[in-house]
Amino acid sequence: MEQLSDEQIVTDILKGDKDLYREIIKRYSEKLSRYLRKFLSDRDDIEDILQVVFIKAYKNLYGFNVNKKFSSWIYRIAHNEAINHLKRFRNGRISLDDIEYKLIDEKADIKKDADRMFLKKDVERVISNLDIKYRDPIVLFYFEDMSYEEISDVLRIPKNTVGTLILRGKNLIKQYLEDINKKHGR
Amino acid sequence: MEDKEQKLENSVMGKINSGKIGLKSKYLFLAEKLGLGTAFALSVLLSVLLFNLILFYLKETDNLKYLSLGKFGIFAFLESFPYLLVIAFVILIGLSGYLITKSDVSYKKPFGYLAVGLVIFIMIFGGILTFTNLAHGIEKQARGGGPAGMFLMPLTNMRNSGVAGIVFERGDDYLILETPHGLRNVGIENVERVSLIEKGQFVIAVGSQDGHDFNVERIKVVDKKDVPAIGRGIEFKFSPFIEKDLNEENIKLLPSDLLYFDKQYRDCIKICFDSEVGPKDCFKECHK
Repeated sequence: MEQLSDEQIVTDILKGDKDLYREIIKRYSEKLSRYLRKFLSDRDDIEDILQVVFIKAYKNLYGFNVNKKFSSWIYRIAHNEAINHLKRFRNGRISLDDIEYKLIDEKADIKKDADRMFLKKDVERVISNLDIKYRDPIVLFYFEDMSYEEISDVLRIPKNTVGTLILRGKNLIKQYLEDINKKHGR
Repeated sequence: MEDKEQKLENSVMGKINSGKIGLKSKYLFLAEKLGLGTAFALSVLLSVLLFNLILFYLKETDNLKYLSLGKFGIFAFLESFPYLLVIAFVILIGLSGYLITKSDVSYKKPFGYLAVGLVIFIMIFGGILTFTNLAHGIEKQARGGGPAGMFLMPLTNMRNSGVAGIVFERGDDYLILETPHGLRNVGIENVERVSLIEKGQFVIAVGSQDGHDFNVERIKVVDKKDVPAIGRGIEFKFSPFIEKDLNEENIKLLPSDLLYFDKQYRDCIKICFDSEVGPKDCFKECHK
């Protein structure tokens, strides 16, 4: 089972093996839950949306082109649900776990000078306040480890725009963190 | 965490296995794709056709020619402008653009590139269509009242600020023009250098409508080839009654609704024609 690609599993589900969808849920529940946490703070909301995502994905499986990446497709559904939820409700503060904090710290190179210290809560606050158009590609790139091509498929924006948004978002994060540092006299 | 994942898995799979949720039919997605594709193809095709008609209208009618006649020409230009055609074209371009954004591949390239590509495509193919007789066919529909002719309706509408036609008769202070609406009396008291205008010449004029008469402010001789649609309009209007060119003899065959004069003038002309007086004298006499 583990050797089967997502796309092969979907093909088999469409042939009638409904129970294989359990494997899809297993593969994506943690990933999507982590992704949704970058937009929503309420755990119950995240669980509800996650369930909606899996149900919508199942219902629309015939709409998925098996020649494309399933991960991009299901992340797209999760993205749309998160955005819809954000439109309806206020955006809460996101939370990063330690690994994620380390990831953004290292990969995005936000801590250029060794003597500059950023607290995890500062980074969380800055990412929470980041405009959704920058936050989305940054989350997918740094935390979900997606390529520009995959992010382009999830967000439905050109690949070049993905790169631009990530760069601008990264610069904004750095700028905000420097402002926080100055404010606190670090 | 694992408990929650298990709960989620069981909940979703429970709904799937119990049949509470099911796969949407593949035909639904197929229909959606086909519908989107068809709508896009139709909107692009119609845009090409409308662009072709805009080119045709601007090239073959009097609309653009009025602009060379000063400020009065602007009114005549605005009056004869094919608004419905242009508005429908803009809406269809917008619709095509919107449908592009709904396609699976549109986001791979910036929308600006796709929009420019779409407009260039429409312009090229709309231009190529000018080598066909398609627009002429629609022009015929416009004159004959066919449904496809509605976009070219301004072609057949009477203008209040402009007139175009062939000089049939020339008096000291008037011209009788053959126009797509019949014979029209055109007053030229306000115009200088009208001596250059001769019978048989094609003219466009701007000014104002006064009852059934038209008072000219500026007038210009043009080549018939510059406004071929007006020439065809005249032919369409007169050909049922006149075999070839209108002349002093056959003019008597025209029905009174083609004498686009006020009632008194028209009656006078008709009576005069019946009395075997030449048309030139009739027009001169009745114009008083």
